[in-house]
Formats: sequence, C-alpha cells, structure tokens
Amino acid sequence: MTDLTYAQIDETVLNTLERPRPRYWVFVALMLCGVLLGAGAWAYQIFVGIGVGGQDIPVAWGTYLINFVFWVGIAHSGTLISAILHLFRAGWRNPIARAAETMTVFAVCCAGLFPFIHLGRAWQVYFMLPLPNQRLLWPNFLSPLMFDVVAISTYLTVSSLFWYTGLVPDLAVVRDRSTGLRHKIFRVLSLGWSGAHHQWLNYSRGYLFFAALATPLVISVHSVVSWDFALGVVPGWHTTIFAPYFVAGAIHSGLAMVLTLMIPLRRIFRYEAIITLNVLENVAKTMILTGLIVGLAYGTEYFIAWYSHNAVEWESFRWRAMGEYAYGLYFMILCNVLIPSLFLLKAVRRSVPWLFAISLAVNFGMWWERFVIIVGGVAHDFAPHAWGLYAPSLVEYCIMVGSFSLFFFLFLLFCKHMPSVSMTEMKETAHHAG
Amino acid sequence: MNRRTFLKLAGLGSVSFAAGCSPESPKYLYSLVQAPEDMVTGKATWYASTCRECPAGCGIIAKNREGRVVKVEGNPLHPLNRGKLCMRGQAALQAVYNPDRLKTPLLKEKDGFVPIGFDRAQALLKTKVWEAARRGADRVRLMTEVVGESQMEIFRAALKNWNSSPPVVFEPFAYEALKVANREVFGVDGLVSYRLDQADMLLAFGAEFLETWLSPVEYAWKFKAMHAARGPEKGLFFLVSPFQTLTGANADHWLACAPGTEAVVALGLVRQLLDIRRGKHLPPDLREALEKATEPYQQEAVLKLSGIPLAQYEQLVVRLTEARRPLVLGAGSGQSDANGLAANIASNLLNLLLDPELSLIDAANRHRVETAARRAEVLDLFKALFSGQSDVLILNNVNPVFNLPPENGAKAALEASNLFVVSLSDFIDETSLLADLILPGSLPLETWDDYSGWSSLVSTLQPAMGKITEAPHIGDLFLDVGFETRPVPDYKTYIAERLRKTGRIRNELEWVRTLQQGGLFPAAGQVTSASPATRPQRLPRELASPYESPPAGLAFAVAPSVRFFDGRGANKPWLCEIPDPISRVAWQSPVMIHPATAKSKGLRTADVVRVTSRWGSLEAPVYATEVVHPGLVLMAAGQGHTAYGRYAKDHGANPLGLLPSAVEPACGGTGCGLPDITLEATGRSVELAHTDGSRIQHGRAFILTTTLADLQKGPPPARAGLTMGDFPLTLPLPEGYDPKRDFYPPHDHDHYRWAMVVDLDRCIGCGACAAACYAENNLGIVGEKRIVQGREMAWLEIVRYHDERRMERVMFLPMLCQHCDNAPCESVCPVYAPHHSSEGLNNQIYNRCIGTRFCSQNCPYKVRRFNWFDWEWPEPMNLQLNPDVTVRSKGVMEKCSFCIQRIKEARTWAKNENRPIREGEVTPACVQTCPTDALVFGNLMDKDSRVRRLCDDPRAYQAMGYLNTKPAVIYLKKVLHEV
Amino acid sequence: MPAETCIMGLFKDDGKAAKVILDLPAAGFSFRRAHSPIPSHRILEALKLRKGRVGWFTLTGGIIGFFAGFALAIFTSVQWNLIVSGKPIVSLIPFFIVGFEFTILFSVFGNVIGLLVCSRLPDYGGLASYDPRCSGEHFGVLAACEAGREGELMDFFQKKGGEVKVFA
Repeated sequence: MTDLTYAQIDETVLNTLERPRPRYWVFVALMLCGVLLGAGAWAYQIFVGIGVGGQDIPVAWGTYLINFVFWVGIAHSGTLISAILHLFRAGWRNPIARAAETMTVFAVCCAGLFPFIHLGRAWQVYFMLPLPNQRLLWPNFLSPLMFDVVAISTYLTVSSLFWYTGLVPDLAVVRDRSTGLRHKIFRVLSLGWSGAHHQWLNYSRGYLFFAALATPLVISVHSVVSWDFALGVVPGWHTTIFAPYFVAGAIHSGLAMVLTLMIPLRRIFRYEAIITLNVLENVAKTMILTGLIVGLAYGTEYFIAWYSHNAVEWESFRWRAMGEYAYGLYFMILCNVLIPSLFLLKAVRRSVPWLFAISLAVNFGMWWERFVIIVGGVAHDFAPHAWGLYAPSLVEYCIMVGSFSLFFFLFLLFCKHMPSVSMTEMKETAHHAG
Repeated sequence: MNRRTFLKLAGLGSVSFAAGCSPESPKYLYSLVQAPEDMVTGKATWYASTCRECPAGCGIIAKNREGRVVKVEGNPLHPLNRGKLCMRGQAALQAVYNPDRLKTPLLKEKDGFVPIGFDRAQALLKTKVWEAARRGADRVRLMTEVVGESQMEIFRAALKNWNSSPPVVFEPFAYEALKVANREVFGVDGLVSYRLDQADMLLAFGAEFLETWLSPVEYAWKFKAMHAARGPEKGLFFLVSPFQTLTGANADHWLACAPGTEAVVALGLVRQLLDIRRGKHLPPDLREALEKATEPYQQEAVLKLSGIPLAQYEQLVVRLTEARRPLVLGAGSGQSDANGLAANIASNLLNLLLDPELSLIDAANRHRVETAARRAEVLDLFKALFSGQSDVLILNNVNPVFNLPPENGAKAALEASNLFVVSLSDFIDETSLLADLILPGSLPLETWDDYSGWSSLVSTLQPAMGKITEAPHIGDLFLDVGFETRPVPDYKTYIAERLRKTGRIRNELEWVRTLQQGGLFPAAGQVTSASPATRPQRLPRELASPYESPPAGLAFAVAPSVRFFDGRGANKPWLCEIPDPISRVAWQSPVMIHPATAKSKGLRTADVVRVTSRWGSLEAPVYATEVVHPGLVLMAAGQGHTAYGRYAKDHGANPLGLLPSAVEPACGGTGCGLPDITLEATGRSVELAHTDGSRIQHGRAFILTTTLADLQKGPPPARAGLTMGDFPLTLPLPEGYDPKRDFYPPHDHDHYRWAMVVDLDRCIGCGACAAACYAENNLGIVGEKRIVQGREMAWLEIVRYHDERRMERVMFLPMLCQHCDNAPCESVCPVYAPHHSSEGLNNQIYNRCIGTRFCSQNCPYKVRRFNWFDWEWPEPMNLQLNPDVTVRSKGVMEKCSFCIQRIKEARTWAKNENRPIREGEVTPACVQTCPTDALVFGNLMDKDSRVRRLCDDPRAYQAMGYLNTKPAVIYLKKVLHEV
Repeated sequence: MPAETCIMGLFKDDGKAAKVILDLPAAGFSFRRAHSPIPSHRILEALKLRKGRVGWFTLTGGIIGFFAGFALAIFTSVQWNLIVSGKPIVSLIPFFIVGFEFTILFSVFGNVIGLLVCSRLPDYGGLASYDPRCSGEHFGVLAACEAGREGELMDFFQKKGGEVKVFA
C-alpha cells in the first residue's frame, strides 16, 4: 500500500510537529473567540432563562438536541475506522485512524455539552447522576435520557482510553526524536514505552480487545441516542427502524467529517504519500454504502407510514414532505442520498475537490436530517390544536457556532502538537507491504 | 348542597375584620398578637358578597387567607348563579390587586395630575358641590354605573340636597329596544327575565345570553337545563344572526342572515304564524293591524332579503310551530337601532303568538340593568353640560369617553373649562384623564353594599378583605359630601336601616344572617315568578312604518366580548391572556371576516387591514372564519384603550370608533353596527397571538359527536379493536387491563383514583374554568409576545375545533392533563419529576424537575406547560397568589394537578374525623365554577361516585384513547341535532 | 557471580533480529530484551512466548460491570418505589441497557489495567538500556555476556549485519 521507509514515515509525521507559522495561531485565536461567544451565550441563557432559545410548546427541543445528535453522529466513524476496520484488518484505515479517533474524542466532548446547555435548570444537572445522598434521590434508569447519560459517558471514557493507548508508541517516537521541554513532556506521556517484546506482546493483545469492545459500544451508543426518540410515542419518532437508521446515519456523517478534516490536513501537512488517494477513495466507497442504507431507511419510514394505515402517522409524514419544513426533507434526501451516490463514478471518487465538496454536503444534509426528525415530529403530532412551529433564536446560533469552534479549536491544537498519523501503524503497513 | 359547600358556608365570616393587607408589609399579618376571631393563619375564611363585574349581580363567596382575598367563587345559595361564576367574575380580584390601581386621589394642575390626600379631595369635592348647589338648580350632575338600591337612594338624596335632578345611570348596553318591546307587548316597562330552563325550543335573533346579555351565568345554566341531552331528550336552539359568537357557537342551527335583516326574519315569522292562524286570542283589530304591518314580510321577501336558504327557513318554521314550549329571544345587547327594535318587538310578539300564557316570561324577577338610562338621555346630559348648564359633574365608575362612539359630545363636555369634573374611579381610564379630580372609591370586594340582580331579591356585599388603599366607599363619601351632617353613622348602617324599613329584615340577627349567606333569597326551587299580566291591545306604534333593511354591502358589527364585556375587563391580565373562544387569539383584537370575503380581497389571516366608516377608521389584523356572514366584518368590543393601565393600554383597537352616535328616535338607543364600510389591505401583517394549531382535528378522536337519533337508537354493538375508531373505553383501573392490549401488568391505587368526566354536550366553551384555574393555581401571565412564541401557561384550555364537514360549526373541548394510568410523560423523565401517585394523580414535582422537557415532547395531549422565564406579578398582584400553591421558578415543567391542594384540604378534614373522603368533598377550581356543570370530579374506585356512574354512559370515551394511555379524564360525546 | 555487560545489536530488519535471537543461546550469550518499532511476529515467534494474560483482566472487568449495572438500576428504582408510565418498578428490559454499557465500561477499565500490569508500564527505568533508534527503523536485540566476552558478542552481532551499542 505504501512504499515509504520507516525513516520517511517518521520524517513526514514529525515534520508536522515543527514550530507552527503565525497563520496557525491566528486560526486558533479565531476559534477561541468562537468558543467564548458560545460560552457567553450560554451564560446569558442560564441567567435569563431557557426561554431565550426558540423552543416552545409543542416544539420543546431545538438546535441543542439537534447538535447533540449531530456531534454524537460525527463521533462514530472514528471508532468505526479504528476499531471495526482494525478487526477487519483493513489496511487502508491506518493512515486516517489516528485523526479519526481524535475527531471522535473531540466530537463526543462537543456532543456531551449540549444536553447540559439544553436543560431548563442546568445548575441541577447533577440530579441525573447516581450520586449517593441521604435524601435517597436517585435518577430514573427507565428514562432514555439516563440511557444517554450512561452510554455517552461510557463512550467518551472508552474512546479517550482507546485513543491514548494507540498513541503511546508514537509518543515514544516523538520522545526519542525530540529534545528539551518537549522531550521531557513526551517522556512522561509515553509512560516509558520502549517497544520491548513483552510490551508489544500485551499491547497488541490489549489493543485487539479494545477494538473488540469498542465495536459493540459504538453501535449501542447511537442506538441509545436513537431511542431518545424511538421510545417516545410521537409520530415520526416511535419506530423500530430507528437504531440501525441512526447508526448508519452516524457513520455516514462521521465519514463525511473524516473527509472534511483529512483533505485539508493532507494538503497542509503534505501527507499525500501517506493518506493516498486510494485511502480517500475507500472512504468514499464506504460512504456509498452508508448513503444507500440511509436512503433505504428514509424510504422504509414512508412505506411503513403508508402501509400502517395509521392516520396520524401518515399525516405526519405527508406534512414532512409538504409542510412548512419540507425543505429540510429535501435537503436531507439530496445531500445524504443523491449527492453521495455520485461516488459511484470513479472520476468523482478520485477527485479531491469533489470528495471535499460532497463531504461538506453530507455534513449539511445530516444536520437537516436531525432537524426534520427532532423538530418535525412534535411540531405536527397527535394534537392538531397544539400544532406549532419553531425557529432557532440568536442565542442558539451563537451556541452552535461555539460548539463548532470548540471542535476545530481542539483539533487544531492536537494536529500541531501530537502525531496526527500513527507512525507505528504506518510502519506495520509498510512492513507487511515490504 | 354538597359537603364542601356546607363547610364553606359554615365558615362564612359574619362580620369582616379590618386586618389591613397593605402591599408594603404583608408580614404584619402573621405577627398579629390578637387575630380577629374569624382569622386563623393558614386557614381560609369565606365571605359572601355580590359580583359587580357586570350588571347581572351574581352572588359570590370570597376566600380570605391571612387578610387578603385570594379567590372568588359563586355563592351556592344565590338563585341567580347557583354557585357558578363566569370568567369576568373570577377576574374581579385583578381589579383589587391591579398594579395600576390608584392609591390616592389625583388633582389636575397645570402640569398634569398631582396626588393629594383623601381628606383634601373629599373637602374639595364638598366645597365644589355646595358652591354649585347654591348657584341654582341642576348645577351638579351625577353620572353613575348601575348601582344597588341603597346607593341609588343616597345619590338621589344628595342630588336633591344640591337641588339637582337625579343621577343619569350610564350603561353602554342599556337595552333600550328591549325595554320598548317589553313595554309595548308585555306592558312591562323594564327588563323581564326568561325561564329558559323550561323551554324545549329556543330561537334567538342575536341575544348573546351566554356571554353578556342581561345575566349570562344565570342563562348559561338555564340554557343547559333545556339543551343538555337528558336520555333521548334534548332542547333545540336556533340562532338567526349574521354572525356567531360564543352563544351562536352553541346553536344547533345557525341561520346566517344578511347583516341588518334579523328584524325581517322575525317579522316574517310573525307573518308565518298569523298565516297558520296562530294568535286567535289577540284582539281582532290588533290581528288585522299585525297582518297589515307584516304584509311586506312574505316568505319570498324574507328569503330574498335575509339570504337564508329556503330549507333552513322552513325547518325553523316547522320546529317553531311544533315546539311545545318555545321561547323567542330578541336581538343582542347592543342592538338598539331600528333593526334591533323591530326584532325585539317581533320576538315578543312571537312569544305572544306561540304561548298566549307567556309562561316562560318572568315579570316578577326583573334585571337590575333596566335602571340604566337611554343613550339619548346620556347624550342630552353631555349637550347640557357642554352648554355650561352645570358646574360640577360627578362620574361614578363610568367611562363614556371609551364606551361611546365618536361625536358623542362627552369629550367636549368634560373638557369644558367651566365644568369641574370628578371621576370616582380607581383607574386612570380615558374618562378620568379628562377629569379635574380623580377620587378613587373602594372596590366591591372591600365594601358594604347591596345590589339586586333580580328585583325580587336582595344581594349584599361585605368587605371580604382589609383595604389595600385608603379609598372610602362611595356610599360613605356621599354621606359626607351630600349632607350637611351625616344622617347615619355609616353606609353599612344605612343599608341595614333601609332593609329594615322595607321590612326585608326585622332585627340585627337577621341582618347578620343575611350578610352571612350573601343576601335574602327564597330557598332554591321556590323562586317566585309571574308572567306579565297585561296583553297588548293595539299595534306597537314602532311597527307602524315597515322596517327598511339596509342596502347590501360590506357591513360592520361590534360584538360585546365574553372577556371584556364593554371594555371594563381589559385591564385584567387574566381576561387578556385567556384567548377569545372563537378565534383563540389573546391580547389582540382581530376583525373576523368570512374566508370568501378574505379571498375576494386577497387577504389572509393575520394581514392587517384598515376598516373605514364615515365616522372613523381603525387598523386590525384579519381573522378569516366561517362563523361570520360573507357580507360582514365582525369585531369584539373592549380593547383599544388609550389609557386604563398597562394591560389595557395599546392592546388591540376600539371598534366603537367606527360607529355613529346618532340614536334611534323610537327607542333612544343606538346599534352596534353599520351597513357600509370599506375594508382595505395595508400590505402589512402581524403575528397573531393565537394559542391554537389546526382549526380542524383531522379526523382524530379528540372531540367525538353523536346525533340525537343515534342516541335514541341506543349504543351500537361495541366491537373492540385497536384502532382510533374502535378502541374501547379503558378505565384507569385494574379492570381497564387487557392482556391483549397491555404489555405491563395492571397496578392498583389505595382507596382513591381521582378522575374527571367532561360532558362535551354541556360545555359551552365560556372559559370560566380556565380563569378559575389561573386564579387557583398561580399561573403565570406571559403576555402577547410570549403567546406568539407559543409559551402560554394555561393548564386548562378550551380547545376550539371546526367541524371538518361543516366549517361553520364550532365545537369546544376542555383540554387539561389527562392524568393517564400509563402516562407517556412519566417514564421519560430522568429524575422522576413526573410520576404516578398512589391515588392515580400524575404528579409533577417542581423541585425535582431539571427541565429536559421530554415529558412535554412525549405528551400526546400537549397539556404540559414550561416556565421559560420567571414570570412576574407586579405588586400588589403578588398578594392574590394562592398560598397553598407553589409559584414555579424558571426552568421547570408544570401542568394541571387536579387542584391537589384541594384534595389535601379535604383529606385533612376527613382525617380529623377519621373517615374516608366523601363524594363531592373535592372540587377542583374548574369544576366548581363551571356554569353548566359540564365538569364532574370524583373517585373512580368508588362504585357509586358520579364519575364512575357517568363512565357507563354510552357517550363516554377517552381522547385519543387508542394510544392506551388510559386517561383519567373521560369525555362524554357532544350530541348534535341531525341536520 | 561475575559482572555482566549488556550489548544491543540493532538491525534494520526483524527477520535478522529474529535469527539472532534464535542463535544467541548456541553462541553462549544470554538474551535480555528485544525492542522494535512495531509488534514483530518474527521476533515474538522466535521468543516462543505464550499469549499475553490481558484478556483475564478484561473478562473480570466485564463480569463485574454487567452485574454492577443491573445492581445500580434495580437499587435506585427500588429506593423510589414509584410507578412511572404504568411500568413495573423493576423492569429488567430497560435495565439491560445500563447493564450492557457498564459491561463495556468495566471491561475497558480491566483491559487498561491489565495492559499496564502485564507490560509493566509506566516503566521509566527501562529506558536506561534502550536505544532511541528502536522506535525508529531499528530492531534492537539486547544480550548479555560475562566480562571479557564483549568483543565476541559485538562480532557476533556485526556478523549478523547489525550495528552495535554497548551499555556499561
């Protein structure tokens, strides 16, 4: 797959850790401002009341929950690539696994913030934690939201540990190629890794188990997220297809985000030799699959709505296609199903601009998918006398900007201070190739 | 009388205490060393009094907690309202605690009003009037609202001392036409009352007797007494009017006549009856005269002018002639123009023709509002004042500047420099603004008085609370300024004296007992009544010349508002916040036009239009609805104030601004509409503050109806299925469990399973329940902007749906928390904030709620309300808050609790006597006030409870029951007369 | 016991390194450690090591987690003893999700602990006799010999085509 020597691999990756140019810090500062904007908006909301958002009755959930699901979705492909593809021994995942895992960790961080932001009384959030207290007040583990608490926190813990474990040998590499402060830091971070045979023996074993555990986890987490809705009675939510539908959607959006991140990374860090066009093409191929699954899910929903002869269900889906939010439906069909199917053409798959453009389109489309489901469901549910619409408020937009800024802020810091490609795994690839 | 009522009356305060509750130091109440005998901290005391929110004069009992009134309810002993109260009555509290209420008199100086002391104000008034009195006759004039007999006597006496003529009683709706009709046909110079309850067929020509007409609460219960389905029986109600308001929405058949043709139809019917030889008992010459007078109103002419389809008209005639005890009501409150006059006279004649005995007309119990002066007299007074014939004008709680159409002369007269105007008003309204001295008087809930809604009875008022302001009572004020020396020590004694003089009471004890029960009433059932004695001998001269119906064209009509009456309610936030029953729009005053009219003018709901008449123009958003005649633009009265406090000012527009003020000479009144106006789009549009979503229910099982025929056939064979259509009634009890339908095992409750039955056939959609809920449960007032955002807080709302097959048919559904046995809202909460209580209530624990809002998302009825912000109760409104109910802070969910505080109160009683809670002991606020007894509350586990027995009614169903949430609110289908 | 010297042979190819490991005993040198930039099968085979014991930690963690999850859910719901949505107080089906997530979480904890214990990390001391090149492109074989045989061992490594590094 790659014909680079170990030395070249080390060199290419370690070069990315050179002292950054001022432009880099400008971007970091910009993102930081975004984060502060979001934080300010949140503080204002806590002070004045959640009413500064656009939510209402019937649509009591807005962009906060949409972004939550969006980020959780993004988070998924990271684990998919590093764990599932690791089990499948798909060599092409090695160049992008590290960045994807990092993306996962940061995306989960962003996602995890939103349930708090969304609360009417964020300061009481600890009510949701099973903290021992003499009043014997405990959370309700029958609630899908508690499933979320358990699943998301598990996911964050596991994916971070997984990420760090994979990082250790590379930290050792950096340690051995650096001097001064950086050397000291990485000496500590790499836990004295020396690549001794007994370390490798247990490491590869442990890494395998990690992969084996992360795989069911990643599937369970987005299923649980989907049950936030599927366990409700609301038409358009209350359906058994949701778990697979959401998991596929999550991977779809995650892969798109991988492309969105990898393509600039590859360009800026001159990773062309490592993250080859074949790698991107493979991602694109996977997206064809996920895109088709998502498309199938859309179709199935409509079929069942019609086939069930349930007037409420059918009206809800009729409205989804013809009501005030119809554009959302068309966004998601276009961007998640039709546009990605362009990847069937080899020319498109192998053209970097196309890959980038389409990945952006899918990110956009997946956001709208969540909008259509979360807002569309309740806006037009059982009680016609309560039907109503929803539009995000300025505060919500600021917080949304804040979350994206936070994500890119963290990612920028990471890729300039940590090896953004796994040298060890690249060497393995080279080794097996050579 | 149920137990709860008994307890209340037993607790009725005999003599009210003077424990003040100034907004400054409410703590003072708790630090009483010696509390007045009938005040126990934490325990409510009830005082019987009389509602003065409109001239009807219903009896009320006011709940006093720690020295302040927190709730008013109907007085169960009072024969008018029988313990019920309307929306406006409930909101009386918000006048007392209104943040814009004046605390001191205001004297107008060069640069605006300056506050002065009450003593100085009173002295000033006294000097002014006596100076004026010395200057000659009629130098002091008094214009007052309708008041009780005692107050009226004092007024007369005082004016006599000032050698001036008696007061002019001003009521915007003075029923001039109806009075003339009664005089001409019944020989009664006043306003008779009607035994609606004994009729089997009702025909109205616009009389909105469920909202504002004469005595709405009284007629609401009487209406349902005849109109609610009793087994296979059900009275019939026809309405002939160019529009439906709440009353029209309750009609079985609405004959939409062209604007201004009610009289034509009424006279046409007279003609029809004469043609079929009715009214042989009439004097022959009267008969002939009638036949001659109704000559122009042959069927063809009537149909042509009114535009009513032949089929409907024939049906009306047939039903009217077939009916055994038909009753015909005349035109609406404001209709005292030629049309209203002719319609009223014709209606009375119809009654005479249909029932020579006039057995449904009650001349013994006449409505107090009959004392109101004719509009003509009011206008004459202003003319006189303008021409400087008087020096002092005293206005007692009237607002003519707002309530009269332009060119009424009021403004000019009040601004006349040589006239000293004193307004005895608690608020700076449009009229007080022009006064030289505003001298607030104490409000009905704070004072001694009497007021007789029916001439036959006495209904007393007593202070139900300490005073918030130092304002004197008007009676006492006049005892001071109207006489050199007070004839009696105080107004209270005066009332007692008067009653003793008239022989109503004999001694102090009877006086106290009278106060205790709120008045002197015949025991229930023994209400004396008498039909009019005299019969007309000649043709009413008003019919001599035929009535000319106005030319076709876009007409304009003003409907008295069930929320604001004539506008006096507009400063009470509850009434602004609770939306209009038909349009479901709150705070704003849209013009209602027919969708066809809107289409032809390229208008859509919420587009702002300019309505222009010869006398003025206004701008308002359009609301397109099928309940108005295509040729009509309808608007509710009451809003569009330019003063009158923060809640009234600059909300909506005042439709009276378009009307002419010229009076109809024949009766001295004016109409509430005019034939030709122009309607033009402004190109702008606003967001309507409406609380509804879709106007139709898309075939869903929220409101179910059945026809009388089906009801008589008996229930169809029940085929239990799982779909919306055939899902069986599943009570929220273990027996409601069915392994075929239920995944989870059944669960039982201990002793009680609280539930409510809502009879849609009885519900008239008046919204009294919603108002009572606002008062009882400290619901936040969110205001226009937030309602637009969909953040209203009503725990109980009257959902309005149009019939998908006949859009002009409107149906109402009280929607509140259904307290489901399998409540979808409960399990989704991560912290158990909503959960199922051992007595079946769906509890919401505010302290525990963290505001995920999942419960609301998952509620199929969307009855949960969220505190998006901390709502405000500007002082002293906070004093009205019910101390038994938490005030919720921002970020928590809330909803109907079945008034759990009342359940707890009843439990305490029961526990003290260690016995279970009895049937009827727990009455939620909504159930208590419902004028038509549409709501029933009780314990489902008690096999003999009313709720349980009503569940066996073939009409019983659950809203969206097929979701198998097992709601504890059981609805009874609305019964329709087949068309 | 006479003093020993540790000498490391660094090879560009793990095949060579593996061969060296096999030949060391015959040449009378004692093998100490092998360092490699990647997990090399050849070397591990040459060392004939049993599989790591990390798995047992993982398994234990998993079992604990599974029961801990259910225990927590059941305990809390019994504490309240409130009916919600007409469901039984203890509803095992929803609790399975808690059980499952806890299983994963605790397995991973077990796995990490196992990893640290078995591969004796963190181990900063181990870096004393370690050559940074081993994290680059070299496979290092660390062997020991009695005092005086250093020369032989160096030759041995060099013959096998490796560079040599001596640790005093």
